Amino acid sequence: MTTSSETPDDGLLAAEYVLRLMPPREESAFEDRLAQEPGLMGYVTFWATRLSGMNDEVAPVAPPSRTRRQLMERLFGPTQRQTLWQRTGLWQALSFAAVALAAFMALQMLRTPEPTLPGTTAPLLISEIAAEDQSLRVLAVYDPNEQRLTVTRTAGQAALGRALELWAIAEGAAPVSLGVLPDEPRATLALPADLREQVAGLTLAISDEPPGGSTTGAPTGAVLAVGQVTEL
Amino acid sequence: MAQSEDIEALIARTALGDRKAFATLYDQTSAKLFGVALRVLNNRANAEDVLQETYMKIWRYADRYTSNGMSPMTWLITIARNTAIDRIRATRDAADVDALADRLAAPGPTPEQSAVAGGEAARIVACLDQLEQDRGQAVRGAYLQGLSYAELAEKFSVPLNTMRTWLRRSLISLKECMEQ
Repeated sequence: MTTSSETPDDGLLAAEYVLRLMPPREESAFEDRLAQEPGLMGYVTFWATRLSGMNDEVAPVAPPSRTRRQLMERLFGPTQRQTLWQRTGLWQALSFAAVALAAFMALQMLRTPEPTLPGTTAPLLISEIAAEDQSLRVLAVYDPNEQRLTVTRTAGQAALGRALELWAIAEGAAPVSLGVLPDEPRATLALPADLREQVAGLTLAISDEPPGGSTTGAPTGAVLAVGQVTEL
Repeated sequence: MAQSEDIEALIARTALGDRKAFATLYDQTSAKLFGVALRVLNNRANAEDVLQETYMKIWRYADRYTSNGMSPMTWLITIARNTAIDRIRATRDAADVDALADRLAAPGPTPEQSAVAGGEAARIVACLDQLEQDRGQAVRGAYLQGLSYAELAEKFSVPLNTMRTWLRRSLISLKECMEQ
């Protein structure tokens, strides 16, 4: 590059092009030339490469998970999530649950409740613990007859180097840890004895925690997803 | 961040329509590109939009990567930065949208320029420090924030032509410094 700054040569034009300093008309004229003059691209690559060293000064910032989801949906349609649901059969189960729940609620309004006799089969309890933007979804099913809580993660996962911890919150009480969710999408967790009688009124929540879970006995990270337990 | 070769391989597989490779490419590079877009736009919502648009272009144009002679990260960052600058200019002056059509369309064979190591790229920072302070800041403003001559002139309170001369002389000095 030997020319003065008043009459820019191609190398300088390429630098201005890469920096985006050209007015739109000059810019598109330069692009026309780029398409026809192979040598010109060398200057562009030179500047793009050298200037990009400045990006070392730019700190990476993790974008929100919804950006990734929206991008994949825009490019590939909303199929990915549905296949996951279909694969696990949960979609159908949940639709059925919703219909059954609606029917049950309607019936409840028409008749006075009968006391449940001991020994009869208690109904399943279900909760969909979901993030507001659906980036994390966990379906929890409690079988009172077996006293087991089965959780199935259908969307999202723990952030790199972090863990997801499940909490049960009885009305007016502090959250009680039910354990850290494993990497596998499905897990069976034990419910503390004093919670077993009040599952129907519980709120379940998932928080972001260090590996191994909170060491304080209370959630330390952000609450990522929340769900109410309802009878099926 | 992953190694260059890994990113290069992911771009190559993306060019073949491999969605999984594309998703991995996103996971490994989106934080850097989001940082770049945020630096230009200074607005999270716009930067999220621009990030999506950037990766849509990457998906569409991945097959052009090999012909442009840039390192994989430089190529990805260039797309993100240009998309972000297009966004601020489009919102600032809606009439310019058409003129700022997709600049990725320009292909070009430049094998001799292709292999520039990261260490060499990092030289820019040392060379910028050799410029007078405000000149160095003007180049940084142009690159990192996508400021135009007019915006730079205003920011540094100098006439437009002075700013143009500043920038051009700075770029000539930078080139000499980087070629040493």
